[in-house]
Amino acid sequence: MTNASIIGAGMTEFGVHESTLPELFADAALPALDDAGVGPPDVEAFYFGNAMCGLTSNDTHTAPKMAAHLGLDGIPCQRFEDACASSSTAFKHAVQAVESGTHDVVLVGGAEHTTAQTGMSTPEMTRVFGSAAHREYEQPVGMTFPAMFALLTKRHMARYGTTEEQLASVAVKNHYHGSMNPRAHFGREIDTDDVLESPLIADPFHLLDCCPFSDGASAVVVTSDEYADSFTDPVDVTGIGHANDIVPIAIKNQLTGTDAAIRAAEAAYADAGINPDDVDFAEVHDCFTGAEVMAVEALGFYEQGEGASAAADGETRLGGERPVNPSGGLKAKGHPIGATGTAQLVELTEQLRGDSGERQVAGADVGVAHNMGGDAASAVITVMEARP
Amino acid sequence: MSEGSADRPEPLTYDDWAAALHDDVLLGQSCQSCGAVSSVPAAACRDCGDRAFETIALPTSGEVVSETTIGVPPTGFPDRYQIAIVGLGGARVLGRVDGHVDIGDAVELSDVSVVDGDSAPVFAPVE
Repeated sequence: MTNASIIGAGMTEFGVHESTLPELFADAALPALDDAGVGPPDVEAFYFGNAMCGLTSNDTHTAPKMAAHLGLDGIPCQRFEDACASSSTAFKHAVQAVESGTHDVVLVGGAEHTTAQTGMSTPEMTRVFGSAAHREYEQPVGMTFPAMFALLTKRHMARYGTTEEQLASVAVKNHYHGSMNPRAHFGREIDTDDVLESPLIADPFHLLDCCPFSDGASAVVVTSDEYADSFTDPVDVTGIGHANDIVPIAIKNQLTGTDAAIRAAEAAYADAGINPDDVDFAEVHDCFTGAEVMAVEALGFYEQGEGASAAADGETRLGGERPVNPSGGLKAKGHPIGATGTAQLVELTEQLRGDSGERQVAGADVGVAHNMGGDAASAVITVMEARP
Repeated sequence: MSEGSADRPEPLTYDDWAAALHDDVLLGQSCQSCGAVSSVPAAACRDCGDRAFETIALPTSGEVVSETTIGVPPTGFPDRYQIAIVGLGGARVLGRVDGHVDIGDAVELSDVSVVDGDSAPVFAPVE
């Protein structure tokens, strides 16, 4: 069983930010350090998730730059780039570092600019996002990221009868949750017709089936569960799973589910010693509505093919059987790529502490974060539990 | 795990695969150890780990497994176009679509598209 704890969490609003990358990250990292009650001399390592800044801003070797801005000097600093899973893979390494006794306190987080603040047009940014698609066998075909999940979702619809209305219900639910999250990029509610009548992105996905391009940052402070006893409000990390899947998409073992997430979930549950029925709520990687359907199936909440009814029937809505994406998810909260993984962990931390206000999940004792990267080729699943 | 040796065929490269598209040929690999067939050149078999492959010509007609029409393209692509995963015997290939197809439709390799110097197969519905 994984033995690590989060003792501090912070994030910016997701939306449009004009600040530089170090300034943006500091707006998440300093609140996380303050929440933990630690200062720069206490931080023994720093792991940073960012996917695109080399392409958007001619900015690489970013971990030491973020560290210097935060007054961190003379410690191991490392950037992780695993597309949309960048900061959760960074987090996994932080957990392993405290579990092994290598470090006592690790700062981990992510930051990303993806809006027009980068100076890039939508086609240019679509190409940048597409850089995570296979260079030789996907990019030349013109496969975009919405198209990748669209191909899986179309197959899911053909095989299981999943409908566009069921997909839209995921967006409607997550916008409802986002309306209660002051940090969400989209705080307004929408209805099914809004989704179905919005412009085509990659069918079956309309604009409102898709998460936005967002700027933002998030961070958590990780320590060993033993050391966490001396802090005020720790939340335990009890399981982590991390797995890949074959690319390009055409040669995946299956096209109606995400094997990376299925494998990572099995590993995370085994690590935590729990099963899907023990999970009270989840933050999942709903970059597109169809992705949330496959996420709740990969997590074992529903049989494969039955996940589409979850949102439509209200089971995954706040107040339902097992709320999914109480933060609003990527769909409404926003998706600043490298910040998304640890932002899910910020939501888990606050929910498990009972600090989520209007969108608090009742009886939240066990939460799961599901973060995916690339063409469904990376997945990190994290199980977190409230202290008894 | 097997080592490369002189009596094994040369591994299929991306450049060979892309060049063959311009001759209306879709190349693939068949694993000499377990027989798994793939449309994508790889250094080792994902099923058994063996490194010895035979380069094969895949069928050029098959059936649409999934498809999507893209309305927000990256730079260099048209305003609206369709892509599809096509099943060709035991292999699957991602390609552009000339015309319009639905899942289950019969298609054949009809052309090669070149964007920014990169080649991709194009499939068209079989009349």
